[in-house]
Amino acid sequence: MSLLFRILVYVPVLFLVAVVVVGQHHATARDTLRSAVRRTLRWMVWSVLLVVAMWGLSLLLIGW
Amino acid sequence: MLRKNLDPARGLGWGPFLAGFVPGLLQWRLGQQRRALLAFASCTLLFFAGWVLVDSRLFYWALLTPGETDSAIVRTLAQFGLPLTLPELLNLPANALGALLAWDGTPLGERAWRLPRDHEYVGGFLTAASGMLAAFWSAAGHWDLRVRRDAGQDAPRPVANPALCAGLSWIVPGLGHAKAGQKDKGLLLGASVMAVFVAGLLFSQGHAVDRLTASVWWIGQNLCGLGSLAAALVAGPLQMQGAPADLDLGVVLCTVAGLMNLVVMVDAYTVAERSVFPVAVDAGGTP
Repeated sequence: MSLLFRILVYVPVLFLVAVVVVGQHHATARDTLRSAVRRTLRWMVWSVLLVVAMWGLSLLLIGW
Repeated sequence: MLRKNLDPARGLGWGPFLAGFVPGLLQWRLGQQRRALLAFASCTLLFFAGWVLVDSRLFYWALLTPGETDSAIVRTLAQFGLPLTLPELLNLPANALGALLAWDGTPLGERAWRLPRDHEYVGGFLTAASGMLAAFWSAAGHWDLRVRRDAGQDAPRPVANPALCAGLSWIVPGLGHAKAGQKDKGLLLGASVMAVFVAGLLFSQGHAVDRLTASVWWIGQNLCGLGSLAAALVAGPLQMQGAPADLDLGVVLCTVAGLMNLVVMVDAYTVAERSVFPVAVDAGGTP
């Protein structure tokens, strides 16, 4: 599975999950969408950090 | 108005929680005899409408399959329907009676658990739906107990029954929010859940939601009632011509969609609940 395909699936699903999660704190769709965009961007940063950390661990424990 | 010195986080205790496993028991305790009868009858009839199709097959779908262990405890519990067949376990009496009627601990009986049945996808959905229905009746009982305990004389009426909103969201994601007055948000949340579920079905070529081959994943997928019903009627019975390349991705996405809908159901309940028990809102509009 190519990296592009993974990202094409991961990012939209992340956004849709964010819509449901932040939806609990808002009463309208507009506020929910606005907040979901911010939350998705924040989660993407965390996702990148997680991937880098796992990659670093695999380098450390398994080697190149 | 709320009663004074009320702690909104205070629960109702273990008694009502455990009573919620018997459909109608909470309503009976509240003096709602007709609703209690309706709750018990609807859950029991729905369970046995499915049970006549699946029979002892339910043991095969349990989290702890009694045939895979020699543990006397597990096998004894299984006879009473307690090998964690979810969500049927939420409808405790019907599940226990169904298990007692279907139990055959002989090797021949255990072999029968593994044999496919006609219309077992529909049967499995119906028995599961009875468990979900029991959970919503339980939520309705808890709501009435909470109102009786916490709401004052002049408390406003809820925009809708919170348990009904949660139940509607199980059937059609987002419908509970529409019932509670948040139509556009309900549409957005429902579309989000269904988009992930449909993506899962497309990636797996319709085979992601299958209680026979992925019974543990199916517990989560079933939290999206409309999706799991559609899968039981249409996609489930399709013959698999070799495993699709992205079957695992599809299974995960459909399960994520189910878990997303659990959040939507709880939020629908909360939206209706807050029309009676509002929470303090800060300047940014966040509770």
